[in-house]
Amino acid sequence: MNSKQTNQNSEFHSIREVQITDATMVTALGDNLRDSWQRLLSGKTAVRRVTRFPVENYSSKYAACIADLKRCDGGSMIRPLLDRLFTEMAPVPPDSLLITATAKAGIDNLEKSQSGKPAKIEDISLSSISRFVSRKLGLIEQGFNISAACASSAIALAQGAGLIALGRADVVLVCCIDLVAEFTFSGFSALKALSPVPCKPFDRDRQGLSLGEGAAALLLMSRDRAKQENRPPLGNVVGWGVASDATHITAPDKEGCGLEQAILSSLKRAGLASEAVAAVSAHGTGTVYNDLMELTAFRKVFGKRRIPVYSVKGAVGHCLGAAGGVEVAMALQALSSKEIPPTVGLTHPMSEAKGWVSREPLSISGDYLLTANSGFGGINAALVLGKEQQA
Amino acid sequence: MIASVTGIGWVTATNMGCARDGDEFAFGEGPLPNIEHERLFEEPYPSFRRMGEYSKVGIAAISFALKDAEMDRWAHKRNIGVIVSTEYGCLGIDLNYYETVMREGGTGASPALFAYTLSNSFLGEAAIRFGITGKAFVVNEPCPLGLTCLRLALGSIALGECDQMIFGVNNVKHPPPFDAFSKAPPGALFFLIEKSPSEGIAPYGELRWKKSGVIEFEKSELRDLSELVGRCMAR
Repeated sequence: MNSKQTNQNSEFHSIREVQITDATMVTALGDNLRDSWQRLLSGKTAVRRVTRFPVENYSSKYAACIADLKRCDGGSMIRPLLDRLFTEMAPVPPDSLLITATAKAGIDNLEKSQSGKPAKIEDISLSSISRFVSRKLGLIEQGFNISAACASSAIALAQGAGLIALGRADVVLVCCIDLVAEFTFSGFSALKALSPVPCKPFDRDRQGLSLGEGAAALLLMSRDRAKQENRPPLGNVVGWGVASDATHITAPDKEGCGLEQAILSSLKRAGLASEAVAAVSAHGTGTVYNDLMELTAFRKVFGKRRIPVYSVKGAVGHCLGAAGGVEVAMALQALSSKEIPPTVGLTHPMSEAKGWVSREPLSISGDYLLTANSGFGGINAALVLGKEQQA
Repeated sequence: MIASVTGIGWVTATNMGCARDGDEFAFGEGPLPNIEHERLFEEPYPSFRRMGEYSKVGIAAISFALKDAEMDRWAHKRNIGVIVSTEYGCLGIDLNYYETVMREGGTGASPALFAYTLSNSFLGEAAIRFGITGKAFVVNEPCPLGLTCLRLALGSIALGECDQMIFGVNNVKHPPPFDAFSKAPPGALFFLIEKSPSEGIAPYGELRWKKSGVIEFEKSELRDLSELVGRCMAR
């Protein structure tokens, strides 16, 4: 297979092109994509000591929390975070199909309600995100939410791209969100998955993950609709793949079988050979097993080629169900600027990662970038993003 | 986009089973049946006992759907996907888990319970138990018996992503005040669809996702999953 074959040449010749025409995000690193990207490139981290709830009894004191996120009238913090998310996004067509993605939605309100504090119960439901967003943006339909742990938003993007590719939707808004809450913090602490220091993805001394929070919104359109709306593409979703390990519900498969399958499916969908991929935005949580599993899967797919791999989680923390959306928004910046960010937190690369990861930003050449996410339930998702090609 | 329904399984307050066994389907009010793993599996399944009701009910109904399609036995992992619609998912486990957090200021937080505080965790269990390696995720939509999971399943087959797809609903009752916003009947109902059913099994009928957006079962429009099970079993 030619390394730069395009979708039109793949066996899926009848499917439509999927463009990303808008992207916005809020993380602890910045209130918009531009600021977050610049801070990420300069190696800054938002992982700090947690002050939102008591952490003295947990194995870590660190997370990347967004500053000044205030609850109001018993509402979950998802409400002000969603308000902040859409301040810089261009108007969304009302007929957009909304697909939201979250692992735990307004779980902070479950904590409040169980502690006898005022809390809107409806914010706890996973469908609350699509309800809020559709109302806020004046969309015709509420859409639906997808939940698949830390692969939630990558799968939402894959489903949205699939529906456009099949001609079942013209515009899809994917909106993802998750919070740092004591509920999840205590759980990862109990599982001994939290790093006692800010996380160090792909480092030989990595000890676990640092939680983060954030939200991202990505607007997907068919080429025709984008042209009709006069929206230039930021990039394309050219391939996607989702696969289960079927080995364990909280630990990744040591051989990376599910991730390997997801990546191979995404490349097949894109009609690309692995040589066409310029860089990989890894899940890169900083846990001992995840990072090793990912590199195993990457080696199986990319062979002896040392492809540039990076993780943003040392900078923005692990945003759970929002991780994939945040990482795709950043990856669009990487493709556009031909530069991938440093893996923040990395000091001594694990032996398996030498030649793959870097503490410095790196220039890349090529038109395609792969993003990968994995989650509880043994679920894996991969997306192939293509560089924007103005008509 | 066309696929055939070849398996139907359920657990409801009324009963549990699958269509080809002659079991009657109905969503009912009241508690869901207590599910013992011996009823479902010949082999030992130690982790089943530790699961919450949401996981047990979901795995049982998937097991019945696979049995109905004569796909419950396997030697090699299979590229089958699962899409489940749920309203509150594993909220019951969330409440149990958070009790362990509050009890001792976080030091007693239960890792075993936390592992099941994601609505898709039971799909990981199902993947292991039934050897299925396709896509697996949960959807939450306004209508508890709506057709989103079916649309996405048909799309997956049309795109060649999975050989077969399992889709359906899984809901359990939750205590007040969490039941205040609940519209979903308790229970789980799953269907298995295939693009090209094997010759040994007679499909219940054909699903078609028309370009207009309408989904038809045997050439007449389908409104929700409850109607689909009724029309499949009437044939």
